This record gives sequence, C-alpha cells and structure tokens, in this order.
Amino acid sequence: MIRLLLLIASVPLVAAAAPDRPYFNDKKVPDSRKDLDAIQKALATALPKAREATICIEMGEGSGSGVIVSADGLILTAAHVASAANKEMTVVMEDGKRLKAESLGLVSTTDCAMVKITEKGNYPHVEIDRDESTKLGDWVFALGHSGGFDKERGSVVRLGRLVRTADSTIQSDCTLIGGDSGGPLFDMQGRLIGIHSRVGQVLAQNMHVPVKEFLNHWDEMLGGNFVGEGPFAKAPEKGKGFLGLATEARLEGGVRVSKVGRESPAEKAGIVEGDVILKLNGKPLATRDDLQGMLKEMAAGDKLALEMLRNGKPETLVLRLGER
Amino acid sequence: MNVKLLSLALCLGALSPVLHAAQNLESDSRKNGDAVVAVFEPVRQVLQTSSAVMRDGRKDIAYGTVVSADGYILTKASEINGVGSLGVIIEATKYEARVIATDPVWDVALVKVEAQGLQPVVYSTITDVPQGTWVVANGATSLTRRRALAGIISAKAREIPAGGGAALGVVMKEKSKVAEVDSVNDRSGAHEAGIQKGDILMAIDGKKISKSEDIMAALKDKKAGSTVKVTLRRNGKEETLDVRLAVRGDLYEEERTRNDEMSGEYSRRRTGFPRVIQHDILGRKDSVGGPLLDLDGKCVGMNIARADRAQSFAIPAPDLKALAEKMIKDASK
Repeated sequence: MIRLLLLIASVPLVAAAAPDRPYFNDKKVPDSRKDLDAIQKALATALPKAREATICIEMGEGSGSGVIVSADGLILTAAHVASAANKEMTVVMEDGKRLKAESLGLVSTTDCAMVKITEKGNYPHVEIDRDESTKLGDWVFALGHSGGFDKERGSVVRLGRLVRTADSTIQSDCTLIGGDSGGPLFDMQGRLIGIHSRVGQVLAQNMHVPVKEFLNHWDEMLGGNFVGEGPFAKAPEKGKGFLGLATEARLEGGVRVSKVGRESPAEKAGIVEGDVILKLNGKPLATRDDLQGMLKEMAAGDKLALEMLRNGKPETLVLRLGER
Repeated sequence: MNVKLLSLALCLGALSPVLHAAQNLESDSRKNGDAVVAVFEPVRQVLQTSSAVMRDGRKDIAYGTVVSADGYILTKASEINGVGSLGVIIEATKYEARVIATDPVWDVALVKVEAQGLQPVVYSTITDVPQGTWVVANGATSLTRRRALAGIISAKAREIPAGGGAALGVVMKEKSKVAEVDSVNDRSGAHEAGIQKGDILMAIDGKKISKSEDIMAALKDKKAGSTVKVTLRRNGKEETLDVRLAVRGDLYEEERTRNDEMSGEYSRRRTGFPRVIQHDILGRKDSVGGPLLDLDGKCVGMNIARADRAQSFAIPAPDLKALAEKMIKDASK
C-alpha cells in the first residue's frame, strides 16, 4: 500500500526521475512554442516503432487492438477483447499481414489479457515501463485500430495527458472508441504504460489498465489461467467443453473411437476412427462413462492429454476442448 | 466490425473498490484546459481573423473559413442547408450572408458577405501532414472571441468512400421485369432531376440497364457528388437527365452502431470525401467548416466531418485551395 502511494505522489522533484524523462512532463502546462515543438518531436520519434508493434485482433465479427511486447510475438490486450483463455484468433499487423494467434490467460476483474502469435517470427515489439514512472499530468499517446482494421488509414494516434490515476485504472484525455480496446497507451518515449479498456459517457473520459496490473499477474496469464470472476470476461462453464467424438468400450480396456465429428476439436487434433484412447490426463479409461464423467468436469479451452493406441502403436496427443 | 467495443462504464471506479484516493489532474491543465490552450494564443489570433461563425438567426450552426479579402467564405454545405437567414460573424462583426454555390463532391458551400479587407487563411503547401503534428481549430466561441482547441494529425491522408456507395436515390419496384422506379427519395439527386415513380431506367452513362441489379453495377466506381446521365422511358418516350449522386448513407437512415452511440453528436455527412487528413481534436458536430491550422497559423485544411468520438476529418489544404479558386472563379462568371 505504501509503495502505491509513493508511486502516485506527484512530486516530481522527490521521485527519482528517469534520466531520459522529457522535461515538458515536469511543467504544469506547456507555455511556449519550444515546449510544443518538444512534445511534437518526442511523439514523431516514438511513433514509428509504436505503430509497428500495434496490432488488430480479429475474432468472429468483432475486432479489438493489442500490442506486441516480445520478439517471439507475445501480445498484451484487454480481457474483453480476448474474451476467453486459450482461444484461436487472427492478428493483423500494421502492413495488413495476417497471423494466427491464440489467447493465453486473462484477468477478468481488471481487463488484462495475453495473446500469443503462434507463427514463428521475429516481431516488432515495444518496451514496457516496468518502473511505472509515469505520473499524473504526463503527456501520453494512444494507438489503436478504431472501429476495426483499415489499411489505408493505419492505426489512429491520439495525444493527451494522464488525468486520473487510481488503483487498477488510469485515465487519459486521448479519445477512444470501439476497436481501440486492448490497444496501447504509451509515454512520450514510446514505452508501454497501459492498455485501453473502456470509456465514460463524457468524451474526455478514457480508461486504461496500467501495466502494473499485467506485471502483477504475468505468470498466471502466461500459463493460460482465467483469473478472477468478471466483469470483463466470463469464466468458462464446466461441462460445456466440446470434443466431438463417439466411442465404444473395449474388453481389453480403454475406449475405441467409433466416430469423429467434422470440424471438431478431435478431428483438428488428428484423431481418427479406430484410435484407442487408454488414458486421459493420466487417468485410465475403462468405460465410455469414464470419458463422459471426466469431460463433465472440464470447460472449453481446457487441455486434454490423450494416451492412445493407433494401429497397435502408442500415440500421445494434446488438444483443447472447443466451445459447444 | 464494431462489435468488440470498449464497454461503457457509466461511472468511474464503479468496477473496482478504490483502496486509496484517486488523483485527478485539475481541468485547467487537461489537453483542452484553459491553461494549456493559452500556449496556442498566436494561432488563436489567426482563428479570430480568418475563421467565421455561421449562424441561423442567433444559433451557431457551423464555422467557416475566410478565403478572400472581399468576403468569400467556405463552409460545410450540409450544415447550412435550408437555413432561412444565414448570418456570419468574423472577428466581432455580424454580416448577412448569401450562399453562392455548393460543391456536392466535397460537401462544401461558397458563401459571400459584403466586406472588404478581411484576412483570408494562408494555405500550407504540405499535402500530407505527418502524424503527430500539432493542429488547432475553433472550439467554443462567443460573439467576440474564438476559442482554440488543439490536437494532432492522427492518421494517414486518404479517400473516405461514400458510406453504402454512391446512390441516385430511387427504390426500384420488386418483381419487375424492367428497372421500374417505385419511389424517389426527396433529398436525392433523382428528385432534383425530376425522376418519377413509374419511370423505366434504360441506361446510366451509356451503360445499359435492364434490371435493378444493373444500377448498382453501373454506379460501383462513381463518386458521391458527381453527376451521371440517366436515360429513362416515361409514357413511351425516352429522355436523358443529369442526376447528382448522393451518399447512400445520407439518404437512408443508417443503423446506429455502438460506436455511434458513444460518439456524442457527429456530422450527418461523414463519408464520401475524395481526400481527407484526420485529427483528434475533440470538436462537436457544429464545429466543422472552420480552418485547421498548424503552429505557424498556416491553414493545413478545413474541417469537414466529425466522424465519431475519436476521429475528425479535414479537407487537405492543396485540395481546399484548388476548390476555393475554382468556386470563386465560377461564381464571378
């Protein structure tokens, strides 16, 4: 608690300012052309890299934004954009290139989520402000694919100030709109300080999740966990997971796959008719009821490790349950 | 594509218990607070002399851009349509104004006041203002004083296609073997040109029309605001009419998206512009039509649409300059 209070204390002279902290952040307001030029120059310098790393997330008929924070394609976004852990989605880069991705974990109480590009690559990414050095009144800029991806337009940049800081929300006067959700808020050096979450009725009220919320739940999200109980994402329900195969019991133990549903998670994982499933997540299966009973305790997105026999040879498959 | 949205939080902090007092920046120091706006005073001076306030009686309805010393002003045509007594304020002087001409492609009207020695805007020569460049436009205004609002260029310059495409403004009769007009939208070019219910459309710009679907195909690459030649048959006689194309979304009520719901008031016509620059100045629906200035007070564009909560469009200066010159020249013929 004490640490938090220190962080939001807006006494710039006491806090050890980062050596590269722009001087205009420590002025109450810009009061000369020189100040305005300095703000503009900082923005122009930070923009190219920030834009390259800002992506659009497409899922079903909706879209949001996100930002890449590692060379191997880890993305931070909003929980209400990812909507669930372990879900497939498409990521669109600034140049229009489309990539396969999947959501990892999320924090449903504060609107944080992680997404990972599943295609190998060396991706443009931004640095996270791990020191939480941004203060009330600092100049910030927002990027996002407002209203959806538009190649002609590119991502939309908005400049503003940090106008409110609270526990798990920071507010700026960078105007946001649908499609910006999950997009990045940067300090004037182009370091990530927040993720767009929601807006108030007043046009100047724009809320972001501070990166500290992400840092506090980093490993849980990386591990694909659903943290919290809403309101930004709904926890998956047990028994609603979908596998998509029919089985029959075998005298010698395990169950034999008698049918695989078209386009089902089972088919996508490569299960074929005639495969014999011996163990599910390490537990032996003796009857069809065993399998049904175990699936009843699982939800969409949960991982299944199947130990099987195919043509008499042992096989192991890992797949995720889909949505019913 | 607008389904995944920022959820509207009706009140701040309602979603999480606040463990310690939140800190707020005083409103004076916010982006459009008085203390911040003060630094743009030199640019505000230009707004004071070279922007106009368009009025319907005593109500401000739009802004205008002064483009000649002798009283020519450009503004957004669809904002002043149908105004009975159009008035204009420049500096602190009130004028009566006449609408001289409109350009439906750009949705721009040329307005004239009886004045001499006005300060027209000085056009910037930059065609593609870089993102992140400071820009200033008219905000709230009193009878005597314009207020500056600041923002930045926020996206790439580009064309904004007509929402729903370009349209004649006719609804065709269903289950008809020919392209027969069933109704005419009274705000459309079809109505202006005198197309009537029962007319059979034969051709558009020489392209043969034999069924309703052919109309869409014939208009596919046309621009809203441009004119097409429509050949039709009425009472057994063929005639050809010049018809202005409109933005389909302006003729027929679009369904409001969730993004529209959270945008406050936006311009009725916000699509169908040959080229715009985009900025993030938080204007209102009636704050279009005025100049968009850079820090040197040069005019980089004219505000033409408040598109939504986060996006505003302006006609780029080079296009604006050419348009102003052409409209004034045509007017003096």
